[in-house]
Amino acid sequence: MSKLFPTQEIGSLKKPADMLKKVKDPNVSDEEKIKARNDAALLNIKTLEDIGLDIVYDGEVRRVEMYEEPVRYVDGFEFAGRVRSWDNKYYNKARVVGPVAFKQNFHAEEFNFVKDNSDRELKVPVTGAYTLADWSYDEHYKSKDELVLALARNVVRPLVKDLVGLGAKIIQIDEPAATTHPTEMDIFRESINESVKGIDAKFVVHACFSGNDYKALAPQMPEIKAEQYTLEFANRDTWNIGLDDDTRKGFQVLKLFKEHGFEGEIGIGVSDVHVNEIESPELIRDRILYAAKALGDPTKVYVNPDCGLRTRTREVSFDKIRSIVKGAELAREEIK
Amino acid sequence: MISSYTFGIYPRSEELIEATRKNTENLDSLFQSETEGYISAQKNANLGFVSDPLLKWDDIFRPFSNLSEVTPTALNRIYEMNTFYRVLSFDGQDLVGGGNIVQSNLDSSLPKNKTAAIPEPFTFAELHTSNKFKRKEDFTINLAKMLRVEIDSLVESGFEAIQLLGPSIAYNKEVDFGIVSDALKIITDGLKAKTILHTYFGDVSKKIESLLNLPVSGLGFDITTTPASSIEKHSFSDKILTVGIINSFNTAIEKPQECIKQIDEINAKTKPKESYVSNNFDLEYVPKKFAMNKISILGEIARGAKDV
Repeated sequence: MSKLFPTQEIGSLKKPADMLKKVKDPNVSDEEKIKARNDAALLNIKTLEDIGLDIVYDGEVRRVEMYEEPVRYVDGFEFAGRVRSWDNKYYNKARVVGPVAFKQNFHAEEFNFVKDNSDRELKVPVTGAYTLADWSYDEHYKSKDELVLALARNVVRPLVKDLVGLGAKIIQIDEPAATTHPTEMDIFRESINESVKGIDAKFVVHACFSGNDYKALAPQMPEIKAEQYTLEFANRDTWNIGLDDDTRKGFQVLKLFKEHGFEGEIGIGVSDVHVNEIESPELIRDRILYAAKALGDPTKVYVNPDCGLRTRTREVSFDKIRSIVKGAELAREEIK
Repeated sequence: MISSYTFGIYPRSEELIEATRKNTENLDSLFQSETEGYISAQKNANLGFVSDPLLKWDDIFRPFSNLSEVTPTALNRIYEMNTFYRVLSFDGQDLVGGGNIVQSNLDSSLPKNKTAAIPEPFTFAELHTSNKFKRKEDFTINLAKMLRVEIDSLVESGFEAIQLLGPSIAYNKEVDFGIVSDALKIITDGLKAKTILHTYFGDVSKKIESLLNLPVSGLGFDITTTPASSIEKHSFSDKILTVGIINSFNTAIEKPQECIKQIDEINAKTKPKESYVSNNFDLEYVPKKFAMNKISILGEIARGAKDV
């Protein structure tokens, strides 16, 4: 993108309550449910466009959530039941009971709808092989490595290939589990490379922060076939205005990426998705300017929230995105 | 036949999960009936010790948030699991809470042969924070003093075995066994109950000698992370050996005959003072129907293994 500091979302937004009510109501017809989903997707797309995001999608409004949605459509999985994430929050965890295989492009309808309803650049989020394996029980493969690579080759690659065939140009592989097992980074690297093998598109990897400040990821980054990483920084940063290292402590790890020879783009998380407070445009401006300096090249900096915003209310989410767009404008003015 | 028990948090049923999310009117009665169901399942499996399934516990540390001047703060990942616990900040002058924190959170219908699990002090200090005790050693020792009061209360009310949960000892590459030992000494000195230290979430192969020197009655191992071949290199003639043979991280159900053979082989080589089998860590990592099956298999393994 020729514009400096392009702005984008990571993926999920909280679903509109009226849509959820309709799609869960057994008395509502299938046609009405389809319309409710389309209306909600359109609302998200147009809201993000109106706010001024450069790269958009539909807030993953049709998906159950990032793990359960793909698993529903992949051969070899059976749901086991819900397992706790924290407190009273649970996710539906599946068992791998046979060879995993792609059945159909479960994001095709979603992608075609977004493509037909937006002129902006689109970034399609796709759950990655490593995370699918890490969040499942494996009763079939001999090792985690085997399962991860089978998912990369037999599920994620065909899915991505099909999406690119439909016209997708930017694919974001979502890997929140990527850095949770620092000793397994080799297999993570291979899973991404196998997932994208032979496919012509721009690949973005989204990995969540997991306690080791991306130190395990950094050495792998030059070897992974991804042009961009969208990562979390804001939740470890201070809320003070300023460009010094102490003030921007959440972003210092960017220097490590450069030291390890990564020359690609970073989608910097400038907004903490775990709090309701809205970061000011000036704070976002300084985070962007610090990142641009740390990477040594402002054209490598994309701007986004830390992660998907689905745990925030829609009002908070859109306010955060508004502030991101304004912050990016301020940063562009500084660079002129 | 050898003995057996489970430790840690059990999974909630789908019905109970929904009830906790919606805070339904029958929530308390559901908690109670499900707790009693799990206690019955352990009795029916003839487990040597029976434990509370801890269904109301949001994580293994949460009851300690009831201590004065303790504040639950951020969510942190439990080691490399896709599960999170709430970090507690201990800001009071002292940590002693009167000895009823754990006891008041356990079911009163447990049978005489009952066991309870609590975090061991080193792990506790590793995973939480204190504004009062800045040095990790001071924090660990003061947590040990607090836990000792809790354990005394449990033993007084008939708990015959205390499981001490020490995953940080396994997970951390560097462990100061001097601090671990000093803290455990506070807990176990003169205690009239068995104390078994469980290590999991990491391979302790290179730490077994140090573990054998700790002042506890026994050691528990997760054999999915610490290979049995490493355990078998050591003598357990003056220690209880618990083999965490039931894998709480996979829905695959263990094959009893294979497990019995493995336990017999481990015991033949290690010659433990007493032999137990257990889960490797909290059963809540599998859904309820799998946990129930695994409890039954655990009993079958214990009955089939040769006495030591």
